[in-house]
Amino acid sequence: MNELIASVFETPVINYRQLSPILIILGAAVISVLVEAFVPRANRRVVQLVLVFLALITAIIWAVTGAGQQAITGEGAIAVDGPGTFLQITILIVSVFVAMLMAENRLDPAGDAFTARANSLPGSEDEREYTNRGWTTTELWPLFLFSVGGMLLFVVANDLLILFVALEVMSLPLYLMAAIARRRRLLSQEAAMKYFLLGAFGSAFFLYGSAMAYGFAGSIRLGDIANAISALPGPNGLIIAAVALLSVGMFFKIAAVPFHMWAPDVYVGAPSPVTAFMASCVKIAGVGVLLRVMYVAFSGLAWDWRPLFWIVSIVTMLVATILALTQTDIKRMLAYSSISHAGFLLIAVIALNPQGIASTLIYLVVYATATVGAFGIVTLVRGPSGEATHLSQWAGLGKRSPLVAGGFAILLLSFAGIPLTAGFIGKFTVFGAGIAGGATPVVIVGAVASMIAAFFYVRVIVLMFFTDPAEDGPTVVTPSPFTGIAISVSVILTVIFGIFPQPLIELAEKASIFIR
Amino acid sequence: MLAQIVIVTVAALIAPTLVRFLGRRAFLLLAIVPLIPFIWALSLSDEILEGEILQQNIPWIESLDFSIAFELDGLAWIMVLIVSGIGALVVFYCNYYFTDASRGLRSFAAYLLAFVASMLGLVLANDLLLLFLFWELTTVFSYLLIGHNAESKSSRRAAMKALMVTTAGGLAMFVGFLILGVQVGSMEISVILDAEPRGSLITVAIALVLIGALSKSALFPFHFWLPSAMAAPTPVSAYLHAAAMVKAGIYLIARFAPAFADVEIWRPTIIIAGCITTLIGGWQALKQTDLKLMLAYGTISQLGLMAIFFGVGTVEAAVAGLALLIAHAVFKSSLFMSVGVIDRATGTRDIRRLHGLWNAMPLLSIGMVLSALSMAAVIPTFGFVAKEAAFGSLAAEWGNSALWPILTFVAVFVSAVLTAAYALRFVYGALSGSDGAASPVRVRPRPLLSQAPTAFLGLFGVVLGFWSIKPFIFLDPYADEFLDQQGNAAAQFHNEVILWHGFNLIFTLSLVALVLGAVMFWQRKRFAKLQAMLHQPISADGIYHGIMRGIDRFAVEVTGATQRGSLPLYLSTILIVVIVIPGTLLILSPNWFGNFVWFESPLQPFVGVIMIIAAIAAARSRRRLRAVALLGVTGYGVAILFAFNGAPDLALTQVLVETVSLVFFVFAMRRLPTHFSNRPLRRSRFLRLLVGVVFGATMAGVTYVAISARTANPISDDFAKWAYEVGGGKNIVNVILVDIRAWDTMGEISFLVAAATGVASLVFIKRRNARIVRPTDLEGPKQVWGLDDTMTLSVRQSVVEGNEASDREGFTWLRGGATLAPERRSIIFEVVTRLIFHTMIIFSIYLLFAGHNRPGGGFAAGLVVGVALLVRYLAGGRYELAEALPIDAGRILGIGLMIAVGSGIAAMFYTGTMFQSEIIHFTWPVFGEVKLVTSLFFDIGVYLVVVGLMLDVLRSLGAELDIQMEDEGEDSGDSVPVGSGVSSES
Repeated sequence: MNELIASVFETPVINYRQLSPILIILGAAVISVLVEAFVPRANRRVVQLVLVFLALITAIIWAVTGAGQQAITGEGAIAVDGPGTFLQITILIVSVFVAMLMAENRLDPAGDAFTARANSLPGSEDEREYTNRGWTTTELWPLFLFSVGGMLLFVVANDLLILFVALEVMSLPLYLMAAIARRRRLLSQEAAMKYFLLGAFGSAFFLYGSAMAYGFAGSIRLGDIANAISALPGPNGLIIAAVALLSVGMFFKIAAVPFHMWAPDVYVGAPSPVTAFMASCVKIAGVGVLLRVMYVAFSGLAWDWRPLFWIVSIVTMLVATILALTQTDIKRMLAYSSISHAGFLLIAVIALNPQGIASTLIYLVVYATATVGAFGIVTLVRGPSGEATHLSQWAGLGKRSPLVAGGFAILLLSFAGIPLTAGFIGKFTVFGAGIAGGATPVVIVGAVASMIAAFFYVRVIVLMFFTDPAEDGPTVVTPSPFTGIAISVSVILTVIFGIFPQPLIELAEKASIFIR
Repeated sequence: MLAQIVIVTVAALIAPTLVRFLGRRAFLLLAIVPLIPFIWALSLSDEILEGEILQQNIPWIESLDFSIAFELDGLAWIMVLIVSGIGALVVFYCNYYFTDASRGLRSFAAYLLAFVASMLGLVLANDLLLLFLFWELTTVFSYLLIGHNAESKSSRRAAMKALMVTTAGGLAMFVGFLILGVQVGSMEISVILDAEPRGSLITVAIALVLIGALSKSALFPFHFWLPSAMAAPTPVSAYLHAAAMVKAGIYLIARFAPAFADVEIWRPTIIIAGCITTLIGGWQALKQTDLKLMLAYGTISQLGLMAIFFGVGTVEAAVAGLALLIAHAVFKSSLFMSVGVIDRATGTRDIRRLHGLWNAMPLLSIGMVLSALSMAAVIPTFGFVAKEAAFGSLAAEWGNSALWPILTFVAVFVSAVLTAAYALRFVYGALSGSDGAASPVRVRPRPLLSQAPTAFLGLFGVVLGFWSIKPFIFLDPYADEFLDQQGNAAAQFHNEVILWHGFNLIFTLSLVALVLGAVMFWQRKRFAKLQAMLHQPISADGIYHGIMRGIDRFAVEVTGATQRGSLPLYLSTILIVVIVIPGTLLILSPNWFGNFVWFESPLQPFVGVIMIIAAIAAARSRRRLRAVALLGVTGYGVAILFAFNGAPDLALTQVLVETVSLVFFVFAMRRLPTHFSNRPLRRSRFLRLLVGVVFGATMAGVTYVAISARTANPISDDFAKWAYEVGGGKNIVNVILVDIRAWDTMGEISFLVAAATGVASLVFIKRRNARIVRPTDLEGPKQVWGLDDTMTLSVRQSVVEGNEASDREGFTWLRGGATLAPERRSIIFEVVTRLIFHTMIIFSIYLLFAGHNRPGGGFAAGLVVGVALLVRYLAGGRYELAEALPIDAGRILGIGLMIAVGSGIAAMFYTGTMFQSEIIHFTWPVFGEVKLVTSLFFDIGVYLVVVGLMLDVLRSLGAELDIQMEDEGEDSGDSVPVGSGVSSES
């Protein structure tokens, strides 16, 4: 043992208690891989489901009981603070419902939403054979757990490298998950390919930006970067370029315009439960990190990055809502809606005040709640060849199954931010933070965008309730309790958060301080 | 107050059930419901008139300062009376308007009552958010009510238009509210009004709030939605478009006027909008032949008038505005309901076809005439009283030497003339008119009770008129509050809302207006011609449709242009943004002139140029193989640069990696077409080229700036010292790999194992064949890599004979050689392979052990073994590969990983830290003094992993692909099989 080493490298202090949710999920992911390897095919689904739900719920319990104990751990690489814990718990809870959607196997006569065997050629004899044997891609579950684990790490990462690693742990499984739809497989594979290629670019920008930030500050730790910035005498090209590149990487993840192009294609191509996962959890994680990086590391440069964020926010809100107007596919429309929400969330990032943090947390919760339900309902409306996603097929749905259409209407109203739904509370707090943060013009654009958005949401509602159903229209399939519970909880919470948001807001406000 | 709203809401919830059992008669019962708040308000009249303000406050969302706060003051009190009183009449009237067979009656009843509830909430709310909430609810319910006749397309579109316009305005107002709330720090309306905040942000907020108010009350430029909304059933029009919803905007203006009338944009905005609205409305009303549309435009005109008076900002004007509001609510609902009766009785609302109603329905006719008199402001109706007060309040401003009071007065006067004219036209057209008389209709008289509301309200207008013989005291509370809020409590309000002021100028003007109106009516044919000549060049409705179409069009175009599903397009967009934003920042960067050494030896730029040429050529190449080879050139170029910079170890590794990847590419390419897919030459190609080049330049620039801007010392400066003192080696790269960054290497080799497994599992689609087939296990024909038909039989024969001759000698250079198709054997290659294989293995072991101090190391050594195996495979085919290393690749990988991990763990036991090296000196016979660094064992693990990876790739991309191609060749004779999973690009 050499003294030199001892003085340079000390054993990192790791607060296992604070990290336990991450460790539980990643540990379960590893076990899940082993399950794939050793458990007979017939039992895998059940074993995986038990494992996944057990892991998620344990992690939730640990995260909730541990909430409030803030810590910077892992040699400063991880900051388990209020926003981090809040987002972790949100991701975990949303993941439970996403997992429920994924576990659904009663909607499609052939099984769940995932292909029988991912490496059989679409339309081939192989594929038919495996489908007939009733195989399913249970590999989904380890991928799902790894992705969730990555997200949990992502939102508490306190240095750029951990951020990058977590980003990849989160993203790579998603690329695969997008590729394994049971129906319209080529579309699904194409979507995954696009997602992967463009995602790789996004990651590359992020990494490039990290390298430059390191080159500037001599540290990858967010807090150190902030210190280096505050010690800066004049403008410095390196750090500005670093901020720009890092932002691009994160804009890509949250699908802000003009880095949104992948989103509609991927949302449509991926299996709907996976789309729900991407639209909800990835957005939570992405925005959470954007918030942390901008607030903790780069708040000193606000004058430099704010104009960029103003533009991106405005363009995202307007372009996404306007593009959503012409969509004829319900999943595509939801995709654009999801993009536009990124724009609204950016308002809170721009605000750069404690309300900004709290309102982001609130917005993310209500948005994710509604998103899971909306995609869940999309899986229910089916024609002979799978989900019926063309808008015209939804005509008169309210007359056929008022319950489902009513639930969907509530979720859409929430997306539109109509009062008495959760979406209103989200928009209200975000707009409030934006005004307090001096971004009134962006808020006004946000209101205009909300109006346009309300138009296309209401159009769907009108279509469902005020037009006659088509003769050979799709049917609403009765799901298993999995999807049923997920959708009901989503709708009920959307209403409850709309009427009694007090606890949610209090929690978010309590959690709204980053530590560095 | 909450109780009143709850009662009506509950009634709305049970209304469908009632309608279900009682049919339309349920409306008779439901009509009682709005009477409850009406009576409640009446019972409070003493308190209100004494100036009391009733408040109720239930906290709701504390963090947002959002409470269910209500306030009943003078203004709200009057609004409640209007909303609930007329609401009751309208609900009552529904019984006669609808039949049991009417569609959707159940939901209609519910929506109507829900609308009453939200309207009550709106006027009572004392919290901005609550106000907004009810505001939006009235929008939603009005949408449902207007679109009630959902089957008709025009009805749906009208509903949509009303919804769009009012929601848009509502959202603008919402932002205005937010700004107000954030600025004042409270959402409570009375608090905000008391605070009277000022500032540029407040001005913005007020502007936004006014947009909301104007849109809701159908004021210019949002007036166009109201006529379209006439598609609604008549009770809806009578209620929403006369008494309730359109008054919401006016109410808001009235509510805010005391505190904000002196904000600079307040008066001009409202007065200009009001004047334009009142004139457009009156003008258009004279053009209509549909009774309902005539009333709709009349309503627009009246709303404009009311707005003007709340815009003026004096208490007298505001009170006059309120009087106008009351008068309008009374007479306009009456008239709307009469139109509904006429519609039902005759089946038309066209004044050119109606006649003789007077005789058929006298009660209705009397009511209509009285209401029309009130509309035209004829003494002694309340309409007259209100207009007198209004004229008077404007006239009081004349002395200010400003121009606007006079201009406004002119507008109001003209509006009064127009109103008188269209009131006459309305009554005459509906009751006795025979202008044109195109196919006059038959009248089927309606029940007397259905005419009652019209008559009642008509009479009520007169009663109110006579009531005003004494000053109309019900407006006093609002006036007092107005003065209070303006900080003018001392000023005494003098109520001018009186029937008779004496024969003064104002009265004269009123008379003149009436007379002029009558003249206009008398000359209506000429006036109609005049109107026909002056057709409107642009209409607000047209603009609205234009905007809507424009947005749709834009959306379609943008979707078509950007969202084609084309990956190159998506990528180009992203790259362009990166070029524009970080690129611009880059150009502005102050770090352009740092210490940058361009090159140290002339060979560097030389190699650089070659690499650039190779890279360009690779991008231009159409043959896959050529592209890969050129890519290889750039790789070797990097190796040369490494070598020049004094990093022979890196260079060695780089060369090996390049070689191996080249070979792998070639293997994989056997399954792909020789050329890249053929794309037509398009201009977009050059655009893409441009984007690519500029992006490359940007990134190069970023790198340059990054290097120039470096301030900290590189961490690697210390590596040389540590590598020797701690790591015990002179080859820094190797020490970094196995010691300083051993954890990274650990991760990398784990990744290598995963990648090797991944490649193998992609190629071995169906099975992971664990059985190693060696040449000696093989029976049967020699056919590996057979060329089938390409060689003539005679040549093949001679080759076969030659080979057999050499095999017969009894000496085999490579055993696998015998398994090859005869034409594929090369004795020279076999001999050379035989000669160099073992040498290469020895060399690799040397590299492995020497690596710590000299170029080499486990990674490079493993690659050398890989190349050796590759040579064996190329010379002797897949069976030779099995012969060379008859072990499952997975095992080698596993063992390698195990050794690596094991050495790390062992180090932990030994030194207390994972992967901590220890330097051990000892003497061995023959070798002499030995300096053993324990990280060597880790390096051995790396070595084995690399060997395993190479073997795995050779066996999958090489041998297994051979088998698959042979199988497919037998099946179909097709030499270009469809790829596995990755389809070929043609």
